Amino acid sequence: MTKIDIFSGFLGAGKTTLIKKLIKEAFSGEKLVLIENEFGEIGIDGGFLKEAGIQITEMNSGCICCSLVGDFGKALEKVLEQYAPDRILIEPSGVGKLSDVIRAVQRVGEHADILLNSFTTVADASKCRVYMKNFGEFYDDQISHANTIILSRTQKLDETKLEAAAALLKEKNGTATIITTPWDELDGGQILAAMERRSTLEEELKLLVAEAEHEHGECDDPACSCHDHDHDHEHEHGHHHHDGERDDPACSCHDHDHDHEHEHAHHHDGECDDPACSCHDHDHEHGHEHGHHHHHADEVFTSWGTETPRKYTDAEVQFALDALSDAVSYGVVLRAKGILPAADGGWIHFDYVPGESSVRRGGADVTGRLCVIGSKLDEENLAELFRLA
Amino acid sequence: MIPLYLFTGFLDSGKTSFIQETLADPRFSSGEKTLLLLCEEGEAEYAPDKFAGGNVTIETISSPEEMTAEYLRNLTAKHHSDRVLLEYNGMWPMSVLVTHMPKNWQLYQHIMLADAATFEMYNANMRSLVVERLSSAEMVLFNRCGADTDKMALHRIVRGSNRRSEIAYEYENGSVDYDEIEDPLPFDLDADPVEVKDDDFGLWYMDITDDPQKYAGKRVRFLAQVAQSPRVPKGAFAPGRFVMTCCVEDITFVGLVCKYEKAASLKNRDWVTVTARVKIEYAAIYGGKGPVLVAETVEPAAKPEQEVVYFS
Repeated sequence: MTKIDIFSGFLGAGKTTLIKKLIKEAFSGEKLVLIENEFGEIGIDGGFLKEAGIQITEMNSGCICCSLVGDFGKALEKVLEQYAPDRILIEPSGVGKLSDVIRAVQRVGEHADILLNSFTTVADASKCRVYMKNFGEFYDDQISHANTIILSRTQKLDETKLEAAAALLKEKNGTATIITTPWDELDGGQILAAMERRSTLEEELKLLVAEAEHEHGECDDPACSCHDHDHDHEHEHGHHHHDGERDDPACSCHDHDHDHEHEHAHHHDGECDDPACSCHDHDHEHGHEHGHHHHHADEVFTSWGTETPRKYTDAEVQFALDALSDAVSYGVVLRAKGILPAADGGWIHFDYVPGESSVRRGGADVTGRLCVIGSKLDEENLAELFRLA
Repeated sequence: MIPLYLFTGFLDSGKTSFIQETLADPRFSSGEKTLLLLCEEGEAEYAPDKFAGGNVTIETISSPEEMTAEYLRNLTAKHHSDRVLLEYNGMWPMSVLVTHMPKNWQLYQHIMLADAATFEMYNANMRSLVVERLSSAEMVLFNRCGADTDKMALHRIVRGSNRRSEIAYEYENGSVDYDEIEDPLPFDLDADPVEVKDDDFGLWYMDITDDPQKYAGKRVRFLAQVAQSPRVPKGAFAPGRFVMTCCVEDITFVGLVCKYEKAASLKNRDWVTVTARVKIEYAAIYGGKGPVLVAETVEPAAKPEQEVVYFS
């Protein structure tokens, strides 16, 4: 099985810089091939690649007037046959459509043992607005088809502009994680976890709901028949995906299989509940999965969460947590958790359960994220409380 | 006729700032009714209060579909415009403007702006857009130049598409250098015949079509492929080459009309060495006067290693 990771983004967005970072920090020990379909951004220098043992394949039809797709499938097949790598990184033309590349990979996937692992768009944070306005179709395509949008050079933007950029991207793509943290503050592994959708807001919320239900003694009996048909349906999806059929970029069901992993880890191993953790084994999780712990969040608890690059002070966060016990304004909050960028640099980590809250400093995350679990949550008031309204 | 001042270049190439300065200059603006037509909304914004003479109306066109001849004509009619300044979208093909320009507009000047820092990369990846702009620009202004700007590299890109445009380099501190780099032709125009080496065909073709008079009466010798075309008069053929601007998608054949009594006996696509005298005559295929060759000899030749040539 060869994983395919696509890095799209306009010329100069920083695709090459990102790829280099990931090669150094996230792909060590893997047999990699890089397919370049763009003519030299910063140009990944040959020496570095040689040292890292990476094969590089250039395609010479990256210009805007070419239809790249036909050649593209061929290049991919050739690389698979010649090198049988663990992972292929694809840097498509900056002026091409991401959806075209995804389709080309899918076509190859019909008869080759590959997994379309991630499709990321790198976007210069300071340029999103004007590019969107003036470039039209291909840029929109890159933004709307990405499963992760990685903003570059965010350290050069003030907070308001960064929030505006993130909001603009969310309008075009509501499901992608938008990485807003400057790359220097992140480890390649964290970026990869976001790209592979192991660390998403959805995951975090599901995990917290599961924990809350567990603690609150809701049904955790494996023989319990309280699960409805929908769940079975979800399981089906999960399986297909693991069979290498997860090939629809528009599919919103990616979450399900991850869901299984975490559920499994949490309830059976009880060890690892880190959403970014990659310690779950894909192969044996399903067997355990069926019928376990699929409590529907919606039945008992609701969850609310959001991602934001907004910066907070410790006092702001503490104030918000102190206010959460006000059930009239916010609903019954059972749990709140988050990681937010701090106004003075660094990151604020917080946890809340009724009667107990902690606000501390910790490591950076790909973007600010906050989750609230409870019942009858008032989302509007919560957003306002966290100054996001 | 309404004169059109055309400003092209990619997003962030400094078009708005350049137009702003132009309109703020009293030597350019002294109250003429000016239509400023914007097809792009970049970072920089206009400050109409600083326009000399006033009388500037701003209109925007946000998609290529909006650009129809009727719409453009109505705009100038509505505003009684004496002239039009057009800031053209960097990603729209030039054909959108060329095919929809109203008959009562006349392209008066075309200035292309470029950011020296990104131009080479943009050129490598969006060559077709660059070439079509460069080839019709009277002036190319590279701005944001710095100590590390490779003027020669930029110069070569421009000259690959246009041998006559002015080129200027504007530095961060505001100083401007005019390009005075000479481009000696790689063939001797005083030789008889003028020998065009295989690699130089693209350059020679561009030169002779740009400035045919220079070659009038001279003899030339070059390697070419035979093209038989119904658009070429009887007793003539079109020796030429396949040229590539950017990639395999845009390979086209370019050739000249060549009178030759045994033209009909030549086989299409065969390789020949042509020795001919250049005359300036009317030819329908040129849509006017142009360089018409009169063959002295047409000899079979071997196929060169590179069948396709480049314009640079």
